[in-house]
Amino acid sequence: VDPFFAWIEDGAFSTAFRESEFAFPLSLTAHVFSVALVAGTSLPVALRLAGYLRGVPLAGLMRYLPIFWIGLVVSTVSGGLLLIGYPTKTLTNPLFYVKVAAILAAIWVMWTARRSVGSPTAAELSPARARVMGLSLIGLWAVVIAAGRLLAYTYSRLMVGF
Amino acid sequence: MEAFDEWLHGPATWIATTPLSRFIQEQHAYAFATLETLHLIGMTLMLGAIVAFDLRVLGLAKSIPPAALHRLIPWGVAGFILNVVTGSLFVIAHPHQYLFDPAFRVKMVLILIAGLNVLAFYGTAFAELKAAPAGADLPLRSQVITAVSLVAWVGVLVCGGLVTSGYFG
Repeated sequence: VDPFFAWIEDGAFSTAFRESEFAFPLSLTAHVFSVALVAGTSLPVALRLAGYLRGVPLAGLMRYLPIFWIGLVVSTVSGGLLLIGYPTKTLTNPLFYVKVAAILAAIWVMWTARRSVGSPTAAELSPARARVMGLSLIGLWAVVIAAGRLLAYTYSRLMVGF
Repeated sequence: MEAFDEWLHGPATWIATTPLSRFIQEQHAYAFATLETLHLIGMTLMLGAIVAFDLRVLGLAKSIPPAALHRLIPWGVAGFILNVVTGSLFVIAHPHQYLFDPAFRVKMVLILIAGLNVLAFYGTAFAELKAAPAGADLPLRSQVITAVSLVAWVGVLVCGGLVTSGYFG
């Protein structure tokens, strides 16, 4: 896959991204903020599912879901920019795939919670199932955050050439 | 500011020579990565609590009684305490890197503003908010204080990102 990484890295956009003084810090800041927004808006839902916010209706918390989706779009775009800038660094690190898998699993849990409220045909979540979902949601975002931060420390190659 | 910068070199250099600073500097890079991860988790707890509570006060998710959502605040406070501890360790380990960074200074001022705003909130707005039922609109005073909170804390986070990514460094 090295030729593929080299092809991205030699591209005009990737080169400009690395040479720019502000592209990396601003993309990283946008990425960190938007991931915190996605994980942060999952927090009340996760705590409610796990049984810690009993006075809060789950359906009411779904009003925050647009913020979750907007955060997800911004984090995907900013993460995509970081990826185009440093494809070898990221794609050769197994932690990146752990992070992506945890994100997909967390989205699936949120989606399952969303489907359980609101419509007349919605299947009610049992307390035991809700608890597992809430605790996994918290654990999954912790994995995403830890893996994301460790990506800056654990890479074996920065670019194809070195 | 120049005189202040010049004076600050003294304390910064002293901090960097303390045993605690030396101890953190000597740790493996993974120890720092772990502290950073905890700092990001603390930040997520704060943002999660603040966004949900503040936007309810400002009129989103009105079906939830504000007092019920206020039970998220202890999670945000736990995140704040975690971040004061981990953040202090970053500054103690590398005082020169942080204390002279404009983004770090703006961040500290914003935390001060947000902190005073918290006092204003519990001093004036909390009682009426606690009594508000589901569906209620909150008085303008609560909304103004809450808007200040939201802007200040988001600013704190963005400045933190600029500090970490070395935008001014």
